[in-house]
Amino acid sequence: MSALTRPRAARVALLALLAIACLVFPVAASPFALRVAQTLLFGAALATAWNILGGFAGYWSFGNSAFLGLGAFAAALMQEHTPIDDPMLRFVVGLVAGGGATTSLALIIGYPILRLRGAYFAIAMLGVSLALAELSSSVDLFEGALGVTVAPITDAAPEKFFYYVFLGLAAASLVIATLVRYARLGYGLIAIREDEDTAPMLGVPTERYKLFGFMLSALITGLVGAAYAFSLGYITTNSVFRTDISFNVIVYTLLGGIGTLAGPTGGENHSLPTGRWPHEGALDHTANQRLRAVPGSLRHKQQLLARSTPRANHRTHTPLMELKFHG
Amino acid sequence: MNVLIQTLVDGLLQGSVLALAAIGFSLIFGVLGVINLSHGVLVILGAYLALVARRILGLDPLAALPLVAAFSFAVGYIYQHLVVSPAIRRANLLSSLLVTYGTALIAQNVLVLVFSPDFQSVRPHYANDFWRLGGITLNLLQLVALAASLILITLLYLILNRLPIGRTIRATAEQELAARLCGIDIERIYALTFAIAAAFAGAAGVLIGMLFPFSPASQDDWTIYGFVVVVLGGTGSASGALLGGLLLGVIGTLTTHFIGAAYPNAMVFLVLVLMLLIRPAGLLGNALGASR
Repeated sequence: MSALTRPRAARVALLALLAIACLVFPVAASPFALRVAQTLLFGAALATAWNILGGFAGYWSFGNSAFLGLGAFAAALMQEHTPIDDPMLRFVVGLVAGGGATTSLALIIGYPILRLRGAYFAIAMLGVSLALAELSSSVDLFEGALGVTVAPITDAAPEKFFYYVFLGLAAASLVIATLVRYARLGYGLIAIREDEDTAPMLGVPTERYKLFGFMLSALITGLVGAAYAFSLGYITTNSVFRTDISFNVIVYTLLGGIGTLAGPTGGENHSLPTGRWPHEGALDHTANQRLRAVPGSLRHKQQLLARSTPRANHRTHTPLMELKFHG
Repeated sequence: MNVLIQTLVDGLLQGSVLALAAIGFSLIFGVLGVINLSHGVLVILGAYLALVARRILGLDPLAALPLVAAFSFAVGYIYQHLVVSPAIRRANLLSSLLVTYGTALIAQNVLVLVFSPDFQSVRPHYANDFWRLGGITLNLLQLVALAASLILITLLYLILNRLPIGRTIRATAEQELAARLCGIDIERIYALTFAIAAAFAGAAGVLIGMLFPFSPASQDDWTIYGFVVVVLGGTGSASGALLGGLLLGVIGTLTTHFIGAAYPNAMVFLVLVLMLLIRPAGLLGNALGASR
């Protein structure tokens, strides 16, 4: 089951096989299957981004849709107000705008908001995402209530194009997460999760690391949001600032194994049988969520959480409930 | 001047109901440490139960309130016992988030199936009566809601601070281990606390059903108001929730009147974030569960 414990060569071979399978998948797949796969990759990228702060550092954000929505709106408004003829250039500029906006937001709110711990950080992020959503729909400048139309960037087979875009983003976020995990930053973030008061005594610059992890998480989420805006073609506040996305991202990560590298990606795939196929049965979207949210959390929780890092289980009181104010 | 006073009065009237709606969320968070994401469902369920009572029994919502509260009490007890508690026992406190979130989705969709996704209301016939008092308009229905909220919040205060069960609940919130060592059956106290919280949420739901239109999808809002009230007032105390609710109401009506009808929610969430940054334990500090 766990590819991470097998010998290195087998792991590399498996990854290569998976990568080739992902790359050639569009050749044979129907447009519907491609859209489904695209949604999976979308969720995988978001969950991996959330995991950098939520999984490694134990800072559970309940409001990552703030970054998703901001990235989408930044990209959409950018392409609306700066007419660029070349569609690819327009796309890239949109991505830069989305990623730039979310990274700046993370930089601005990061210092004050990361002083909050546990549930207070979670609630504050929820508040940030709700406040941004309200502002985007109430302030005319952002056009969130009416919606922004995003001009198409490809004429032929947009589902193929966006499949590769989201594949690229998911792969990039996985690579970033892997690099972070085995860099000094990753060990520092894990130290913060295990004991934030002891970490600085061991020379971990906790504030800087948390901020950096937060910004990375925001950057990836913003890029995904920008790509999402282009793939939707028309966005409103309700289609991108969605609280259910904030929560689903956590569900995906928990199902796959929080704090692990493959977990968030695998967790999103877990939702495939319950979450996506029933679309054909004309069930509404929330009905799908209820199918996967509860049985998953009740049945799989134990073995999935047990698969996360060994240290995480040994603690009885999780960081979310440590309502200490720091600073 | 009159406009300002009228706005403040309206805010306080609305705020008392918000306080009652959030008090259960605050109690569960303070005592169990669980962020109950299905709290809004318990509130909306109360409104639907009042609707059922009116349709089947022909009861006025206010007369149905005790029945709804009793039913919600049972729902809360069973829910904690069968769903939330096993999840916490088998994994950890965090898993309660997922379980309550999943339950909220299930319940919302069941409500849609049973009652349709349309907006409903249990407005009574006296809803439009009002008095004028020195230039201030006082809506009878809002006064009734205020009185009911204040009575119920006082009742919770008395339960928590005067009755033996309240003492046990507060002791459990303060130090679970010590309470256990004193021979307290923690599981039972948790289930009772959850049940009391659900009963208050259901009662609040009845008042909300009388005041505002409601639909299954509006459950989110009531969970989020729970968050805001907890952050403004602090967890686990009746007075904190009352203060938080009143503030929330006043902020809402002041913003609507002086900034614009589109902004009350944006303002409330900004206040939420600012409050967390400045004084995360709430205005009154943490009455219960300060150590969590």
